[in-house]
Amino acid sequence: MIGDDVVVTVLEVRGDVIRLGIRAPRSIQVHREEVYRELQAANQEAASPSEDAVRNLAQLLRPPSGGQ
Amino acid sequence: MVMPAAASDRSEDHVPAQPAGTSAVHTLPTIELVHPMPGFPGHRRFVLVRLDEDGLLYAFTSADDPDLRFLVVPPLAFFPDYAPEIDDETMQLLGVDDPERVLILLVVTAGESATDATANLMAPVLVDQVNRRAVQAVLTGSGLPVRASLTS
Repeated sequence: MIGDDVVVTVLEVRGDVIRLGIRAPRSIQVHREEVYRELQAANQEAASPSEDAVRNLAQLLRPPSGGQ
Repeated sequence: MVMPAAASDRSEDHVPAQPAGTSAVHTLPTIELVHPMPGFPGHRRFVLVRLDEDGLLYAFTSADDPDLRFLVVPPLAFFPDYAPEIDDETMQLLGVDDPERVLILLVVTAGESATDATANLMAPVLVDQVNRRAVQAVLTGSGLPVRASLTS
């Protein structure tokens, strides 16, 4: 256990592979670190694009027939 | 599918000026993230601002820091087959039992040129349209890409 309410369980051991189960209260999010880090990086890259980038994208997404 | 632009009773919900050509909505309902987005701890209150007339492009803008915004798109027009499975825990987190209430938005990375734009299919932002709670779900194990081309 980690603290009072996080439970770590070994679900399976097969060769070099160990599967872990982590049970935690809903207020604590559990993610694999590499997944979480990739999302952090992706969000940081996505955050606050320039006005130009937004305008270009809006232009590109405008349906060919529906533009002014 | 679009969040109703109902007037909010909170006077601080003003949205910063939008670029020319977009319909500026000055008061929008605040969306509260139940967990901050990865990489942006401390940012929990957002508003959704439509950026084009067709409803294809929105800005998910921090209500506390107008300099922070994410471009988001509804998936349907870009990824018609996209139907992420929302697990029970996420539904409970949002306080929803009806999946129809949940608006799905994909975070877009604009890229160098518009054709480089990608959308994050692995971590959609889910918004309950009734209570306005939201979370960026992490669909671990789904095999869905974090960067899927938006335009090809």
